[in-house]
This record gives sequence, structure tokens and C-alpha cells, in this order.
Amino acid sequence: MSIVSQPLLKLENITKRFKELTAVNGINLEVTLGEKLVIIGPSGSGKSTLLRSINLLEEIDEGTIHFEGSEVGYLLRNGKRHLDRPHAISALRAEIGMVFQHFHLFPHMTVLGNVMEGPLTVQRKSAEEARSIATDMLVKVGLSDKRDVFPATLSGGQKQRVAIARALAMRPKLMLFDEPTSALDPELVGEVFDTIHTLADEGMTMIIVTHHMGFARELADRVIFMESGNFLAEGAPEEVFSKGQDNERIRGFLNRLL
Amino acid sequence: MKYLAGRAFVALLFLWTLTGSCLGAVDYDQLFRQSSDLMAQGDLDGALALLKQVPTPAVEEEAGSFVSSRMQAARILASQNETTKALATCQEVLKLFPDNSEARNFVAALKDQLKPGWHTVLADTLRFLPALAKGAVMTLLLVLCTMLVSPLGGLLIALGRISTLRPVSWLCWFIIWFFRGTPLLLQLFFIYYGLPSLGITLAPLTAAVIGLGLNYSAYLGEIIRGAIQSIDHGQMEAAKAIGMSYGQAMRRVIIPQTYKRLMPPIGNEFIALIKDTALVSTIAMVELMRAADQLFNTYFNITALVLAAVIYLVLTTIFTFIFEKIEYRAGIYEHR
Repeated sequence: MSIVSQPLLKLENITKRFKELTAVNGINLEVTLGEKLVIIGPSGSGKSTLLRSINLLEEIDEGTIHFEGSEVGYLLRNGKRHLDRPHAISALRAEIGMVFQHFHLFPHMTVLGNVMEGPLTVQRKSAEEARSIATDMLVKVGLSDKRDVFPATLSGGQKQRVAIARALAMRPKLMLFDEPTSALDPELVGEVFDTIHTLADEGMTMIIVTHHMGFARELADRVIFMESGNFLAEGAPEEVFSKGQDNERIRGFLNRLL
Repeated sequence: MKYLAGRAFVALLFLWTLTGSCLGAVDYDQLFRQSSDLMAQGDLDGALALLKQVPTPAVEEEAGSFVSSRMQAARILASQNETTKALATCQEVLKLFPDNSEARNFVAALKDQLKPGWHTVLADTLRFLPALAKGAVMTLLLVLCTMLVSPLGGLLIALGRISTLRPVSWLCWFIIWFFRGTPLLLQLFFIYYGLPSLGITLAPLTAAVIGLGLNYSAYLGEIIRGAIQSIDHGQMEAAKAIGMSYGQAMRRVIIPQTYKRLMPPIGNEFIALIKDTALVSTIAMVELMRAADQLFNTYFNITALVLAAVIYLVLTTIFTFIFEKIEYRAGIYEHR
């Protein structure tokens, strides 16, 4: 009833440690429906780990995740935190789309097969229904002419657009982009960027981890600068970029990128 | 005077030679008669010894005795299955009289006997083939049953090994450790001869399939585990990210990608399997190896073993081609 007023995603005190290293250090974050959030920062700053914690590809050590108002992902058993039961985790992931830096398309399936796979296997839709959804998604990313080829024949940009279509076919409520253009040749970044831009215009809620400042400037409602597992700066793009000039480390990072 | 003396000497010499040759001829006739008598008495060696006394002819006139003595000797030798010696005796004649047709014909006949012609091999082949074919069918049956059972067993063992459930992982480790670490022959003996003492009696075929199945499951288990773990971890993450369960991800994404990588090592294993089936001949099963062995022991004829080798080669060749085809088909998505 009051879902709209609640944040779609709420992270509290998220902490993730890898042995000695604290990759994410007590992060709090709220993402409202339709918001476009861009996270920037140097390599190893914990951006990807934070993103992967959201759909439980990383198991966090502390903190809670609320999605659509309810706590997800973990159970308390005998005072110890455990990952929730597998089907609950899968159900959450089905509602959150993720796009990876290296695409991770299924090489043994055609382009159409890749996009159909979620509706077909996870949502157990009929083959016709899954095919029609997948066809729509391929039209949306502009690759309907590639539906019957295998991923090996595609360019990097095309692969990433198929990966986006594969995630969209599940009709996710939130999209996570983990450096979606970092593995691409510079001339192929544009087509992927355009696809994400179209998606943003349609009102999709998204969190993008990127080194591509174009995303931040053109798409973001809010930009977060992350370093060493902490948020160093947070705000509207122009705010972070201008205020960032006062912060030596943000300035250094931005100058190195530009 | 001198002239007369010369004439007399020549005449004497002629007479001596004539007498000598006449005396010799008489001796040889006697010799032939004696040797015929000995042959009649069954003393072939004695007859042979006498015939050998006929010397290499010094003059044309003595040729007849020499040839007939040697040919007679050759016939005796041939009748004693001393084909090589008979041939050598004939050659003695041919060396002096290359055109002697009797000797030449006999040599040809002997050579025919010495190396069996194609008709002999063909006759043996036709004689042995039914039994060998029956054995080959049993070998093929064993191979196909094991090929059906062991990939499933191997997949279960592989999934068990990478399971996060410790007891399952340990059990699968133990199975691999045991069945890879002991001889297949010992496992077969244990299943066929050992289990009855525990009250479990198995038919030879059942015991053989269980033994081969378990052994090959253990080997394939490690191969399949390696193939699964060689698939990029991102594939599992991508599958999970669209909401797949571990089982769905394995079934739809990971395992299908292992097929191409699995084909070369599994093809290897199955070719080894074709030959390993020979071991079940020790547990009262008549398959190809046992059938060949039985024929060899009955007829002392090496053709049976050669045929078995040929059949094994035909089987392994067919399987090699099939696996190459499957490997190509399984990896078709990688071809640009």
C-alpha cells in the first residue's frame, strides 16, 4: 500500500570482509523507485562487491538488505547469520537484473536462447511465451536480426546488449550494471551506453558501477564516489564533480580518468 | 712302341671308367633296393641314409641315379613333414639340373604346403568367425552397458565431489580412491567370487557390468569434475543472477558446456574400456578375448588371435570416429 513511499532498496551497515581486507565498510544506502544511481571510484574500492552483495552473489558479514520493504537474503539461526534458503535467494535474484563486465553470455545457446532462458527455466513460462518475450527484448536492444546466431559471432558491444536483454526478459524491478562498458573497445561503448540510456528513459531503477563518466553526467540522479569500502562523496552529478574538486582524492581520480 | 703304349693306356683308362661306372650302377641299384626294403619295413630314416650315399654325379651318365635318389629322399622327407629339408634336397637336384621338371614341380608343391595359401586362411576365418562374432557381440554388449552406466555414475560422483555437503564429498572421494586405486581384475574377482560369500550371487554379465560400471564411473567422475570446474565461474554467476537454482544452472548452463571438453578424455576411456572387457573373460564370460583363446587352444591356429585383434581394431576405430563426430557436434557453437 505504501510501497511507493518506501525505498525500493535499503542497505544498512553492509560490511564485507575478505580475510584481512574490508571491501565494504558499513555502507548505508537507499534507492528509490526509478532512481538512477551511479557509483564511481578507483579499482578495489568495493564498488563491485557492494553491487554483488545486493543480489547475494557475495555473502555479507554484517548488515541488512531490504527489498520492497522486507528484509531479504539472511536468516538468524541460533544467533548466527545464515544465507536464506536457496529458493528465496533465487526468487530475489529473479527480481534484480544484473549485467556483468564480461557479459557471461551462455555460449552454447543462441542469442534468442540466452534471452529466453530466464523466462523459460526460472519463471517456467511456455516456450512460445518465452520466445515472444525474448523477441521483444531483442528488438528493444536492437539485435532482433542476430536472434539465431551463437554469441561467439557477436562483437563485444552486441554481446553486452544481449546480456542486457537477457536480464530484462525477467522483468526485473532493479537493474545492476557492474562496469558494463569496461571490457569493450572504445568505439563499442556508445551502443551499450545508448541501450542503457533508453532503459533509463523508460523509468527503470538502476545502479551502475562504472569508470565511464558519461553515465554519471548524463544518466545519474545521484553519484556516489567510493573508496576503500566507504562513500567519500554522494550527491547530484554536478555536485559531486564540483565538490569533488575540493577533495584531493576525488580530484586525483577524476583527473586520471579525463 | 710308344704309340702303342699310349693307346693301351687310354684303352685301359676307358675300360676302368666303364667298369667303374658299371660297378657303380650295380651298387646304386642295390642301394635303391635296400632303401625300398627299409621303407617297406617303415625305417624311413635308414632308407634316407642309404639314398644320401649316392654321390654328386661326376659325369652325365650318373645323373639318373643321383636325381632319383634325391627325389626319393625328398618324398620321404615330405612324408615326414620335414618340408624344409625336402625343399633343400630338391634344390640339390635343381642346382645341377635347373631344368629338371620333376624337381621343379615338387618344389612348387612343397612351397604351397609351407606357407598356407589364402584359401587356407579364408577357410580358417570362416571356421572361426561365428564363435568370434558371438564373442564380439558380448564384448559390444558389455561396452554399451558400461557406456550407459558410467557417465551417469561419473556425473553423480563428480557432483558429489564438488558438493558442499562434506559427507557426500567424502563418500565420492572414497569411491574414486578405491576404484582407481585397485586393479579392475581384483574388483571383478571380488564382485563375482567374493560377494557370494556375503550371500550375494551375481550372474557373470551382471557382475561384469557392475564391476566395469563402478570402475569407469570412478574414472569418469574425476574427468567430469575437472570439466565442470574448468567452466568459467562467471557462467554460474550469470545463471544465478537470472534466478536459477544451483541444479538449474548445472543442468542448463554448466554441464552442457562440458560436453565438448569431455569428449576427448571420455573417448579415451571408452577405447580403453573396449580392451578392458577382455578382463571379464576371467569371470566365466565368453566375450571376444575368451572366444579367441578357446579357438587358439583347440586348433593351435594363430588365425583366431589375428582375427580377434582385427575385430578389436574395427571396434576401436568405429568408436574413435563416432567420438570425433560427437566432439565436433558438441562444440558447434564455438565455430564462427
